[in-house]
Amino acid sequence: MRSFVHRLLTRPLRLPAVLGPKPQPGDPQIFRFNGEREQIIAEVVRRTEQHFAADPKKLLYVLNEAGHAEIRRLAAQGDAEADQALGSWRRLVKRLGKMSDEERAESLRSITRVMAEDIAGNFDPRVYKLATRLVPGVLTAVMNPMGLPTQLLSGGFSQLDALISAEGPLDKLRRLAQKGTLVLVPTHSSNLDSVALGYVLMRENLPPVVYGAGKNLFSNPLISFFMHNLGAYRVDRRVSALLYKEALKTYSCLMIERGYHSLFFPGGTRSRSGMIERRLKLGLAGTAVEAFSRNQSRGLHRPVFFVPATLNYALVLEAETLIEDHLKGAGQARYIIDDDEFSRVDRIYAFMTKLVTLRSALVVRFGDAMDPFCNPVDDEGRSIAPSGQPVDPGSYVSRRGVPSIDPARDAGYTRELGDAIAREYQRETVIIWTQLVAHVLYRYLVWATPELDLFSRQRRRGEVAMPREQLVREVAEARERLLQAEAEGRVHVGPVLRSQSPERIVSEALSAWRDYHTKVVAREVGDDVLIEDPNLLLFYQNRLLPWAEELATEETLAAARSIVNQGGKA
Amino acid sequence: MSAPPVGIIGGGNFGWGLAHAVERAGRQALLWSRRPQRAGTEHIDLVSGPAALAEAELIFFAVPSPYVASIARELGVYLDGGHFLVHISRGVVGDDLHGLTQVLRSETPCRRVGALAGPLVAEALITGAPSGGVVASRFPEVRAAVREAIGGPAVRLYSTDDVTGAEFASTAVGLFATAIGFAQGHGLGPAAQAMLATRAMAEAARIGVALGGKHETFMGLAGFGDLMAAVAGDDRPELAIGRAIAENQPLEEIGSIGGTYFEGLESAGRIAAYTRRVKLYAPVITLCAAAFAREIPAGEAVAALMSREAGEE
Repeated sequence: MRSFVHRLLTRPLRLPAVLGPKPQPGDPQIFRFNGEREQIIAEVVRRTEQHFAADPKKLLYVLNEAGHAEIRRLAAQGDAEADQALGSWRRLVKRLGKMSDEERAESLRSITRVMAEDIAGNFDPRVYKLATRLVPGVLTAVMNPMGLPTQLLSGGFSQLDALISAEGPLDKLRRLAQKGTLVLVPTHSSNLDSVALGYVLMRENLPPVVYGAGKNLFSNPLISFFMHNLGAYRVDRRVSALLYKEALKTYSCLMIERGYHSLFFPGGTRSRSGMIERRLKLGLAGTAVEAFSRNQSRGLHRPVFFVPATLNYALVLEAETLIEDHLKGAGQARYIIDDDEFSRVDRIYAFMTKLVTLRSALVVRFGDAMDPFCNPVDDEGRSIAPSGQPVDPGSYVSRRGVPSIDPARDAGYTRELGDAIAREYQRETVIIWTQLVAHVLYRYLVWATPELDLFSRQRRRGEVAMPREQLVREVAEARERLLQAEAEGRVHVGPVLRSQSPERIVSEALSAWRDYHTKVVAREVGDDVLIEDPNLLLFYQNRLLPWAEELATEETLAAARSIVNQGGKA
Repeated sequence: MSAPPVGIIGGGNFGWGLAHAVERAGRQALLWSRRPQRAGTEHIDLVSGPAALAEAELIFFAVPSPYVASIARELGVYLDGGHFLVHISRGVVGDDLHGLTQVLRSETPCRRVGALAGPLVAEALITGAPSGGVVASRFPEVRAAVREAIGGPAVRLYSTDDVTGAEFASTAVGLFATAIGFAQGHGLGPAAQAMLATRAMAEAARIGVALGGKHETFMGLAGFGDLMAAVAGDDRPELAIGRAIAENQPLEEIGSIGGTYFEGLESAGRIAAYTRRVKLYAPVITLCAAAFAREIPAGEAVAALMSREAGEE
């Protein structure tokens, strides 16, 4: 019984397929997913087998490695799911030595099939249509239950529209989505990112995307139902086996190869420090290069467009946990944080109720699309060389005119793409008012405590107060310099920061932090603003790191440099 | 399918050296230079413009670093993603000390790019005397193509994917060779020269790592290997330039020794400014930059180098 309940809660639910609508011409590829699902899984199994089974030594190694890695993980996990699987892995490892090559290949096939079934998402157009109608309502309702009846009567959800703004070349992206496969590669700040992006795509008439979501996000049955049926595939970060990673990579590659618009967070994990991600490994996003090569080799010239995007929040749901994790230097060890604010309904509620009072609480900015070889693309989807002439993207995966599949070459392209996307992130960042107020306050803290190192400074709670009048003045000066940088095309300034008075920006930031965060970030005491939580200030201001020096005045330059140099990993 | 010809840009000694190495490897070379200075051979075709180089798959840039960008722009019109570009120039560009592969990438549609570094010298390439170097590229195909084009019994080519490290090491060696020439000009003996070389390379490695390169690249052919060849006397102009600076010769005379002086001067200034900005400890490079730019008298620079506090190695 326990195992049945467990299964029910962990296996994503699907609606019966028999009555489902048929995909129409012009629908995005994902509307055809259910018809292709079985084929895709079979192809994942076939390619994974091809990758490992050609060499008997490699085959034996990969099975042994998977067996031992899984036994170690499941033994530590110790729940019902683990108990079931543990036995079969132990039996496999015991028998491996005596098996023939064919028996081993058969084991590899059946294990890969289980893995691929677990990874593969689902897409139900009925759920998509339901979500199209429900999501704005649900989000708005969560954010402001009292306002819902009025909005329903007025027939719109303008509040949510005002809350999340989308910027960038949206018309061009809509056109490119018709001409090739979009690979969205946004910055990653919060577990809400994918939900917010999904909503923005829907609102802006951009096609839905498939993406790999951490299996931990599927633990809530309702969220799991929607995610699973809207094309999300499951990535179990706890599984370290090479075989699993290969199956996952193959799945992601196949989706792009078949023209499914995709989303990856190339930073891998949420930015612990609040900084813009600078070193990207791309991970699964790198499979887009392979997918392009494979299609070219088959004579299929479907372009792939990488679209960098930045998500810029006034308040970050998980800020407290993330910065704490960053300062502990535990970012890697706690790769999967399952006890953060995202797992607590009360925190999500507090977050949403605060967020709803803000305008442009989240600015999603899409950058210009590039091909897998870092060339810009024009409105027609053609790759453009520095000379301004079109260049054939197929030439990058060809030698002497013949296209080929070459993982080592594609790894080189992927590294270059990582660098190019990181550069775009910086240029496409939208500075939000809370970040600027945090930066000016934090810079003051550094100015007032020049002798301290990072960790000693972070402990100075309630000790340093900045005159409010000075804070407002420095915010105004820094905004002027940011606007200058924006005019030079090096950054963007958010709508609120651009239009509101510095006085108002300071008040709003203090009030936003006070109402959402459990810790007091800074509070007004007489004519001063007392710094209470340097950690959260550090988190919000870290977004401004690349511009810290140019925002400083002569007097604050040393403090700004010190902030830049204390840097750290994103 | 027969191998395509190999393109070479630059009719200086190095350009011709590469052309002869290509010839020795049994391939056809296409050499483009505004002043070729010599006549072509059966396997070295002199071509009159960049368009003819599109026929090649691999194209070498054997021109001084200040000309790389404009030539790349001119050539880029005729190329696509199927071409491989490899440069042999020393030098860094911009405040963030980018290597010239970055220039090749931004001025042409080519992405499969690389750099040839290490103790390769033009004369050995021309005569076929034993020599070697290191080819750096993120793309194994480019590394293999360079080995196929010029490698052989006379040219031993190692390879690395650390392009950043190899390019910066190569630039740093150019500076250090000048610094050693400068030390020689002041009558400093082998021990002082060795100290200068070793500490300078340690500094270069620190900077290289900060730029994203690997420490071991500086200990290899692109770093120490190249510097040893310079000190052993492979007649490169940097040593002569260093000696001329030590003798306080007029700038225009130094400039006529070799085109590398002004490049070196510019690179030294850029590197020194970078280390100040990112707070990297680089006393040797900072002093070299100041002495080359004649901001401090030569004698003072030597005294300052020798009076630095000695620390742990």
